[in-house]
Amino acid sequence: MRKLHILKLALITILSITLVATFSFVGCAQAEEAVEEVEEATEEAVEEVEEAAEEVEEEVEEAAEEVEEEAAEEPITIGFSVWTMEFTFFQNVEKGVRDACEDLGYEYIMIDQNADPTKMVQDLDSLVSQGVDAISVTPVDPGALGPAVQNARDAGIPVVCADIGKSGPVNALIISDNFEGGQLAAGYLDELLADNPDNTYKFGLGNLQPQWTYARERGEGFIDKSEELGYEIASEIIVDPPSAEGGYDTMQQIISAAPDIVGAFFSSGREAVGAAQAVEGAGEDIYVVGYNGDPEELQAIEDGILAGTILQQPYVIGYQSVEILKEILEEGAEYEDEVVPAPVKLVTPENLEEIAAELEERRGQPAY
Amino acid sequence: MVDIRSRNLKVKVAQQWENFGMLFILVLILAIFSSLDPNFRTVYNFISIFKYSTFIAIGGIGMAFCIMSGDFDISVGSMLAFVGVLGSSFIPFIGGVGAVLSTIVIASILGFINGIFITKLRIPAFITTLGMLYIFRALAYLYTSNVPVYIENKFWLYIGNGKIFNINFPIILMLICYLGGYLLLRKSPFGRYIVAVGTNPDASRLSGINVDKVRIIVFTLVGFFVGISSVVVSANLGSANPGQLGQGYEFQVITAVVLGGTILGGGNGSLGGLFVAALIITALKNGLSLMQVDSYWQDVATGLVLIFAVALNRIRYTLLGQRE
Repeated sequence: MRKLHILKLALITILSITLVATFSFVGCAQAEEAVEEVEEATEEAVEEVEEAAEEVEEEVEEAAEEVEEEAAEEPITIGFSVWTMEFTFFQNVEKGVRDACEDLGYEYIMIDQNADPTKMVQDLDSLVSQGVDAISVTPVDPGALGPAVQNARDAGIPVVCADIGKSGPVNALIISDNFEGGQLAAGYLDELLADNPDNTYKFGLGNLQPQWTYARERGEGFIDKSEELGYEIASEIIVDPPSAEGGYDTMQQIISAAPDIVGAFFSSGREAVGAAQAVEGAGEDIYVVGYNGDPEELQAIEDGILAGTILQQPYVIGYQSVEILKEILEEGAEYEDEVVPAPVKLVTPENLEEIAAELEERRGQPAY
Repeated sequence: MVDIRSRNLKVKVAQQWENFGMLFILVLILAIFSSLDPNFRTVYNFISIFKYSTFIAIGGIGMAFCIMSGDFDISVGSMLAFVGVLGSSFIPFIGGVGAVLSTIVIASILGFINGIFITKLRIPAFITTLGMLYIFRALAYLYTSNVPVYIENKFWLYIGNGKIFNINFPIILMLICYLGGYLLLRKSPFGRYIVAVGTNPDASRLSGINVDKVRIIVFTLVGFFVGISSVVVSANLGSANPGQLGQGYEFQVITAVVLGGTILGGGNGSLGGLFVAALIITALKNGLSLMQVDSYWQDVATGLVLIFAVALNRIRYTLLGQRE
């Protein structure tokens, strides 16, 4: 625009000089006519220049729009569908996905399933209709993924599950090594009981509802390792309802069923805290280990109520899911129905501070 | 003169609102989202709104009959889950077609049982169906030991995911259901009985209508349409999960029926209104999801639209100078 103004100015200056020159060559009488003619000519010229300038401006704008459109098609967009943003665990998975997208320069769209499988299916469909390049999903009901994932895959969109489970033709499932987590818990209880004074070898187990495969595997890992170490699972009860209160009630039932247990494993977070409080309340001497690494658990470990927990790393799971999508999209990597284990960590009163600091750095907020 | 003319105008506005009010709100919602979000105004998305509205729209037909006849059924969500897990578990034994049909038949029988409890044992519909809400859900858990039934049968899956000439099968199924519902309600004596029983059961009884029979058939129809919905939903999910199928379904369906202009106390109602209302609810959720609005705000929006629409209906009655 400024250039065009300069052009206009230059033109006017040149025309003015011509005008002055004309004055010096012709007489005063002729000069008046000449002035009029020149003025007319000047006006016409200015008009032409302005028209030309407008045309150029329009062309430039059009070109700019085209460039913008092309640029908009360029970046890769990742759609993420999450069980619910109500729980810390899923918030951390989401943070992992979001951070990974940011780090890799991807666009990011998140939709909350609101813990409703029908909404999950609709959301996946709407991600497909928005033309995302790849989908990461933390499914509320992994069994209900089949047709929706098929639909996305038919549209050429790879789908990976971040935690929980999978069904249908997903490319990959990134999930905590739940079996190993259960084993870790049993091993840790064994260490704590190294100088077992009562010489009893009995554990209690509080499991989640069996439809949650991931949680079942934790229990199976625990049983496997316990038996290997020579312990007996004296009482195994399903925590119902799945809540801290449910954990409390379940632990009381376990204690009544098997009063001589020395340790107990609860395959989820809040439930384990409830169970540990039940042990406190009953004045028993039983070590309780949880699973998840929820803030409530970390607090309970600090307070000396809970012996330890198996920390899942939802952030890592979310982050890893995008990395796998990147491999598929950019490097043409082949993933078909694969399970990628994500590491779990044992949290004890000894390493609590260190792990909390690490979590805080990653999440940008205190771990508990 | 002027007074009569303005009264005529009021009546006209009110009548037009009755016929096209919901359609107006739907067009308004579609227009707003289309202008705000380019991803909303795609053919693909409009089709998916249609497809997902069938969940509510089909189950809503039975519920509309039920509410028109002055009753209520809040057991539909649990019933949907129970017949879904039961019917889909039959697939290995009687095949896809048999399993689909038996799902619909079982649902109809459950509806029939509801009707018997309500009419013969004289237990209020609200109490009976509240009880059944617990019982059906629990039976679904017990029957499956809380493990979801995975559906791999082609026929069953086709009902939720198949296409005829690029139109999703659930949409076609829904249109057939609406045609049937319309014929039943408007072209058969039974439709008039439903409205009569809902408007005044005592008068209906005195004029020779077998009120109990009408109510039992209505509850059976509720079951019938829930059965169809159950197949569509579980086919779409590819599994029947005893805990998660149909959670909150009863309220979604009742919302659609009320939004569609059917009066809660019984009496006349509109299937067309219900159909449009199901589209409104689905389009609203779809649009807000696309715009990344928090899902809890989506529920706030659905609630507000419901209250707003019913408030507008009241204005209609004020214009007509009638009481409901």
